[in-house]
Amino acid sequence: MTINRRTILSLAAGTALGAAIRPAFAAGEPISIGAVIPTTGPMSLSGKQYFNTLTMAEEDINKAGGINGRPVKFVIQDAGSSNSTAVSAFMKLIQETKPPFAFLTSYSTQNLATAPEVVKAKIPVMYAGGADAVAESSNGWMFRIRPTDSLAARGMAQFVKTLKATKPGILYIQNDFGQGGAQAAAKLLEANGTAPVGMEAYGQNDKDFSAQILRLRQKGADVILTFVYPADGALLLRQIKALGLKTPIVASSASFLPAALQLLSPADLENVWGVIDTFVDASVGGRMTDFTTRYKAKFGQDGDAYGLAYYDGALLLAEGLKKVGTDPEKLRDFIASQKSWEGIGQTFSFDDKGNGVPGVVVVKAKPGTKTIELVERIRPS
Amino acid sequence: MADLIQLLTNGLALGSVYALAAIGFVIVYSATGVVNFAAGQFVMLGTFAGVAMLLNAGLPMPVGYAAALIAMALFGALFYLVVYLPLRTSPVVTVIIGTVAIGITLQNAALLTFGSWPFRLPSPFEGMMIEVAGAVVSVHALAVVATTAVMIFLLWLLLHRTAIGIAMRAVAQDVKAARLMGLRVQWLLAFSWILGAVLAGVAGLMLGPMWFADVNMGDPIALKAFAATVIGGFGSLPGAIAGGLFVGLAEVLGASYISSAYKDLIAFGIMILFLLVRPQGIFGEPIQDRG
Repeated sequence: MTINRRTILSLAAGTALGAAIRPAFAAGEPISIGAVIPTTGPMSLSGKQYFNTLTMAEEDINKAGGINGRPVKFVIQDAGSSNSTAVSAFMKLIQETKPPFAFLTSYSTQNLATAPEVVKAKIPVMYAGGADAVAESSNGWMFRIRPTDSLAARGMAQFVKTLKATKPGILYIQNDFGQGGAQAAAKLLEANGTAPVGMEAYGQNDKDFSAQILRLRQKGADVILTFVYPADGALLLRQIKALGLKTPIVASSASFLPAALQLLSPADLENVWGVIDTFVDASVGGRMTDFTTRYKAKFGQDGDAYGLAYYDGALLLAEGLKKVGTDPEKLRDFIASQKSWEGIGQTFSFDDKGNGVPGVVVVKAKPGTKTIELVERIRPS
Repeated sequence: MADLIQLLTNGLALGSVYALAAIGFVIVYSATGVVNFAAGQFVMLGTFAGVAMLLNAGLPMPVGYAAALIAMALFGALFYLVVYLPLRTSPVVTVIIGTVAIGITLQNAALLTFGSWPFRLPSPFEGMMIEVAGAVVSVHALAVVATTAVMIFLLWLLLHRTAIGIAMRAVAQDVKAARLMGLRVQWLLAFSWILGAVLAGVAGLMLGPMWFADVNMGDPIALKAFAATVIGGFGSLPGAIAGGLFVGLAEVLGASYISSAYKDLIAFGIMILFLLVRPQGIFGEPIQDRG
């Protein structure tokens, strides 16, 4: 190929035109944001979702011009499936990356273990574990982007009333999340005059729940509340049906995540209600449709409420960075001051303990299908 | 009564899977002296071999099961060549640490290959239930118990009625003497790893439809199989069977009649009790008698 002056001029003109019409990609020194996410081990089931949505948020923020012209960069450390790994990952971020802000995992036990280091590091963080105890130790630096377990429990107890059940049974995973949720629900049910007839626990690695299910049946439970993780939540629903129980089930959010739903048949979901964070479905319209469509196209799976919480969190952070810069204290104050920030999945309103989500929703599968529909929104007083 | 039948069936099905995993432990331990801490991941790999053949490749069930077990046999041979053989002259503790490292590697390789979402592996008896004295019993659970019984019988035939099985037992008793007798010890050791992997594969294929195919399913199986082996007697095949069934039943009955919150404490408490009072387990030989 011969390169002459006309060729060079054409290339120069093309380059200039390309630069003029391309979106306002961010340039300059990136702003590093930390993220401690379980990308390996059992907790990666949820972790993968917010790994994906933070990646998506990073691209979207930078495509829209970044933070006043500077790109953001999410520096991700693996939280594994233990508290010690999560703490080490956070400390590594603080020492090596020195971010002005970080995301923590969606697991209360890891959030609780990391809280003292967050207070020492003096940077604001967003997290998605539900245990109420996390907020007590946050010292103003931690912001929760999902409902608290007690809020979910209040929603579940309230829905038990709707079902007119009088002998609730509770089945829960034996960890901070499950025990906390079960105890909160038990107290509320008792206050409503419908004290639980039985409370059964299972271990995080358990795969057979027949003993617990049969005990609740023996005790005459007319509704079963479950506090579960996704895979064991799905297995539990299958085993309940396999044992021939027709008792209504009110399940915590994990049972209705796409990772759990893909393991279930329409029959497994009969008579099952989910009290979940938010209704993530393309049918909602607007920004939700855009998010769910793009997520599925990019990752080949349906997005879930956990992933969406982090996506919303990243957009809120971006707005804060644009308005107050990278000073951790100013960022903290900015987030704490948000009382009606419109995300895609939630309207965030942070209370004095940093809890940002004030309500939950009840969903159910349409009869004979796995299509999830909204039953009601619950915003307990 | 109906609930008891239900619990016994579930406990036996669970115990059968633990028993098969424990037998895999014992066969490798008896022949090589190595406690294979990757045994749980062997079972996980068996389940995912089923996922690859039945769900990904879409093979019909009989062909898919056969292909999955052949894949597991090849994996056993590969494990022998890549992990055991290079480390065979190292202290046993090095080999044991090697199995731990390989276990972690296998788990993460499965995570990278198959992703974090669990799979629902189909059963030949999908959705089939029978009613026994008021209890609804899954046909798959009964098939698991029956398959384990058949596998144990075939294993007994192999070890007591075939030349290769008798040679394996000779190697397990005394490697030097077996070599002096002209036995091809390395081939027999390789066969032990292959057999262990195939048994884990059978356990994995049976577990897939009962639980879900999950890359993290190996650790709980390994822990329970280890407890079964200790209770039954390290190195004893009847012990592995009895121990597996015992742990499965203790788990389900303990949760039902004592406390669901402390059911693991019951199984592992009994294991600790055995370690203190009868370290050789139910069927194991006293340690000082081993030649």
